[in-house]
Amino acid sequence: MAEPAARTLWAGLELLDRQLRDRHRVLCGNVDDVELTYSEDRRILYATAILSGPGRLARRMGGRRLGDWLVAFIAGTTNDNHDPSRIPFRLVQSLGPVIDLAVDAADLAAHATERWVRDHVISHIPGSDDAAE
Amino acid sequence: MKRILAVFLGVLSAIGGFVDIGDLVANAATGARFDMNLAWAVVVGVVGIVIYAEMCGRVAALSKRAVFDLVRERLGPRMALANLVASFLINLLTLAAELAGVALALSLAASVNYLFLIPFAALLVWLVIWRMPFETMERVFGLLGLTLLVFAVAVWRVGPDWGSLVHDSATPRIPSSETPWTFAYYAIALFGAAMTPYEVFFFSSGAVEERWTEKDLATNRINVLIGFPLGGALSLAIMALSHLVLAPRNIDVGALSQVTLPVASVLGRLGLAAVLIGIFAATFGAALETSLSAGYIIGQYFGWPWGKFLRPRRAARFHVVVLIVLVIAGLFGITGVDPVKVTEYSIVLAAAALPLTYFPILVLANDSDYVGEHRNGRVMNFFASIYLVILVIVSLATIPLMIITKAGA
Repeated sequence: MAEPAARTLWAGLELLDRQLRDRHRVLCGNVDDVELTYSEDRRILYATAILSGPGRLARRMGGRRLGDWLVAFIAGTTNDNHDPSRIPFRLVQSLGPVIDLAVDAADLAAHATERWVRDHVISHIPGSDDAAE
Repeated sequence: MKRILAVFLGVLSAIGGFVDIGDLVANAATGARFDMNLAWAVVVGVVGIVIYAEMCGRVAALSKRAVFDLVRERLGPRMALANLVASFLINLLTLAAELAGVALALSLAASVNYLFLIPFAALLVWLVIWRMPFETMERVFGLLGLTLLVFAVAVWRVGPDWGSLVHDSATPRIPSSETPWTFAYYAIALFGAAMTPYEVFFFSSGAVEERWTEKDLATNRINVLIGFPLGGALSLAIMALSHLVLAPRNIDVGALSQVTLPVASVLGRLGLAAVLIGIFAATFGAALETSLSAGYIIGQYFGWPWGKFLRPRRAARFHVVVLIVLVIAGLFGITGVDPVKVTEYSIVLAAAALPLTYFPILVLANDSDYVGEHRNGRVMNFFASIYLVILVIVSLATIPLMIITKAGA
């Protein structure tokens, strides 16, 4: 897939800390950080990936070692050791107060603890699969 | 009919904020100590919460983002985390007090030591959150809470000189038995109760739970214009009744049973029954509001799936937070802490963090990314900015006043 044409944006205002949503409209984390890459002539900065998950949040807030450890730990829980906290920009479908992604929440780092809590705690309580309305 | 039922989100938000366990007592206590000289603080608070709740309801309807999303987006992760920790602790303290309040209301009817009833109260709150649909919940407890209007009926039955009641409220002075410091401290407590942050956490998240859209902007306006002034009116009715019945007899209010006293003396057993139902509903409503808010704000800060409209399996972390919060608050309540003191402290501490919650709402209600063409008008921004200044002053004055007055003693 070709990279879509770039647009100018204020990453600090229009990207950071916004809500992410997966292809089924399930909330799946926030934009905890942004990966920036220089163009070849080093004149333009491109936002090349959204970084999301507890490790990325810890890093952004200054907890570098804790953050790196968390990123690696969550990557270690995936089948092929890829980093689920890095979401390349080509998977971004739309920008706004909510950022829609062409991914499944289950494949993202921000969702890892959700799965654990669901399987080990909530699903043991009767009625956990009933809708309240 | 649907329109009428649609206002209960605002009604429940307001009842949980204005007349929860601590405020029931605080309102009665101020009426007994200051007569109507602090009524203005309630009115100023009502106007403030109406302005800001309208904004956050509008943002929620148009962008599906609730207040703590806005806090994180505008303050960044560090400041938002500071606000999260403060708001979460305040929610936890308040919830402990409300659970004790629910248990107290039950014990006034059933004459069992209330401490035994706290685990039962916590279980009941959890069951409602786990099983009851959001809209049923807000209607049941909003409607039951309206039985507190019996305070207004009692005021009317006492038959006060309405002219002087209004005149006293409109021309406040510091009673000779009080200092300017205690006067200011109680004014902040009343103002802080009106603008308690968990009201906007709950109201805006509730708007998302009910899937409001642009079509619901009118519902939003009706909710804030009916719900919050109604909460303020209940607050004033309790204050006025206490001023009329308790102050002349020099009775100071420090416990929940003394709040029910004037209604019982004016309206008899039936009145007392209505008050007990109202207190149960209001404290229960506040318990729902604070436990859900704890889940809402953490979920929104981290971007988790949250909300009662999802099956618990699909919002697992949210439900675990609510569960843990209820367990901790229940255990704290059982230690026998005075629920009235706990809420009074937590309101005042909350006042210190107010700008961190309200500033992002004001900014994003002006951001067309969030609200499209429905940005604040000039008049709205003018008044909202004035309130932001008030909030900053209040937040700076709160803790020094708490120390100077030894928490209003």
